[in-house]
Amino acid sequence: MGKGTAETVRRACAGRGWRKLLILFWAAAGFMSASGAWGAERVYIDITQPGFVKLPIAVPDFKMQGDDAGPARQMAAVIRDDLDLSGYFKVLDPAGFLESPQQMGVLPSEIRFDSWKAVGAEFLVRGQYEARGGGLNAEFRLFDVVSQKMVVGKAYEARVADARAVAHRIANEIIAALTGEAGIFDTRLAFVQAEGDAKEIYVMDLDGQNLTAITRDRSTALSPAWSPDGTQLAYVSYVEGQPKIFIANVFSGARRAVAGYPGINITPAWHPAGGRLAVTLSKDGNPDIFLMDAQGSLLKALVSGWAIDVSPSWSPDGSKIAYVSNESGNPHIYVLDLAGGNKRRLTYEGKYNTSPAWSPKGDWIAFSSMNGGRHNIFIVRPDGSGLRALTHGEGDNESPTWSPDGRLVAFSSTREGASAIWAAVVNGEGIRRLTRLGGAQSQPSWSPRANR
Amino acid sequence: MNHRVTAAVVWCCVLLTLTAMAGCSKKAVPGQTAYPSAATPAGPGAGGRYTPGGPIDEATWQKLGLRTEEERQRFLKEMDEFQNDDIYFEFDAYVLMDEAKAILDRKVDFLRRYPKVSVTVEGHCDERGTNDYNLALGERRANAAWQYLVNSGIEPSRLNMISYGEERPIALGHDEASWAKNRRAHFVVQF
Repeated sequence: MGKGTAETVRRACAGRGWRKLLILFWAAAGFMSASGAWGAERVYIDITQPGFVKLPIAVPDFKMQGDDAGPARQMAAVIRDDLDLSGYFKVLDPAGFLESPQQMGVLPSEIRFDSWKAVGAEFLVRGQYEARGGGLNAEFRLFDVVSQKMVVGKAYEARVADARAVAHRIANEIIAALTGEAGIFDTRLAFVQAEGDAKEIYVMDLDGQNLTAITRDRSTALSPAWSPDGTQLAYVSYVEGQPKIFIANVFSGARRAVAGYPGINITPAWHPAGGRLAVTLSKDGNPDIFLMDAQGSLLKALVSGWAIDVSPSWSPDGSKIAYVSNESGNPHIYVLDLAGGNKRRLTYEGKYNTSPAWSPKGDWIAFSSMNGGRHNIFIVRPDGSGLRALTHGEGDNESPTWSPDGRLVAFSSTREGASAIWAAVVNGEGIRRLTRLGGAQSQPSWSPRANR
Repeated sequence: MNHRVTAAVVWCCVLLTLTAMAGCSKKAVPGQTAYPSAATPAGPGAGGRYTPGGPIDEATWQKLGLRTEEERQRFLKEMDEFQNDDIYFEFDAYVLMDEAKAILDRKVDFLRRYPKVSVTVEGHCDERGTNDYNLALGERRANAAWQYLVNSGIEPSRLNMISYGEERPIALGHDEASWAKNRRAHFVVQF
């Protein structure tokens, strides 16, 4: 095992400009014959099983070729950080490694599996790169230390300035190889940033990089919601006086008001197929939920009645919405089947359940529940079973939003003082802070997978 | 299927565009429209109308039908009271309490006495609820006050409503005393 691996990397499509990132695949013949075909045929981690044991993984610094030592540590650190966030791995501390990252080899025949087994690693990510004149050629291999096989390997051609992005890609590939579904480390978060009296919409990469203002109105902007193709954000703003719904192009910044009916125009939620949104309007004197197209034309009423009805969230197949209604006297989560018009109350615990967020896998609905003056994040099955708390009274925890793989929930939390965006694995573990900014951050919206 | 080839077997080449991160995300986002600053009050202030807090010119006094200095001083005093007296609500409620009704009765008197004055009723909430739900709740509070004024004979055309949810607190503490002050309907005059 592990011998006879291809070690040449053919750069077939070089020179397409700095915006292009070239990825080349290669595979080990030994692994091929073992599995029958290249790829992640064997699922190492079955994400449908709760309570799996975290896999110990070692990510030594990348081996440097050329003249720029910067990416060696940076790329490995980004990968370690991503893998830790995923909740799948116990990422081993490089301080305990027995091998020198600049001395050890990168090919399967050069890996001393015993030495990695000795530090407790079950998987090893080994990378190297060459940085010259601003260009970056990087490659990585993921090894199964126990069976001493290469699982996956790829090579990338990019700019040195994009080393971080390449590292996120590598982390995505590692997750894809081990779970059968790509990682989410090149996704982004939109959120509300409170600065002084103003609230603006910002977008950032999951790791906090590339922070970008979507609004700069010095007004109050709220409730960002990504379009399913990741190119647009719907949000609410007071910039024209009353709360209206706007849609902004994330890349160009161009924006337009799409709903400015009398009263409030709030809580936009894109239909999973795009093009249409569920919104709350009070144009008829009462906050009701409507379906409208992306130009703001109303298509039909979805929920109406004397009660407050707000905060729609679509099931991934678009057949149902979860929403908040106070028709019982307090705000609770309801589920409406759009085809049959059948409405069902989902939450009975507590007296204040709001902000439903239907998981992109369809298997959970997250929401925030206020009890004893504190908000916590809960998840529940769409049939009302399996209620479970993700947070437990560490400050106020509100506004859940799902990662596109349905594995992580981001939310706002005041557990360290001013509100910031945090994320937890759906099993409640691995809680970590995602924003480290001045001011206060709230109402996160997790982007779909990158469409870059 | 029984490959013993030692060279790489599968070669794929995938071009991925990184435009988003490098090309676009650092760009400033220019607004397409010249939006007014949030510091400008939402209510009508331009077009020769009264700007809250500003001086009242002679034409406006004439429009209000207030000619003597005594009438004008009385109006200014009553306008201050009108705008300073908020009505308050219980948590997650928009029912008018007796004290609120008494305050609203005084507002009805004021609006009857000065028929040229219009009002924006603002609905507000404390910080404890959810932002989105509070936008709806704030509107219900504004609506409750609006309905009381209309039922008391005030023309609906003189009354505007806006909900600020929990976005415009006047008390910034994180305790019941502050929350109670923020669960309010606030009244702003226009003329």
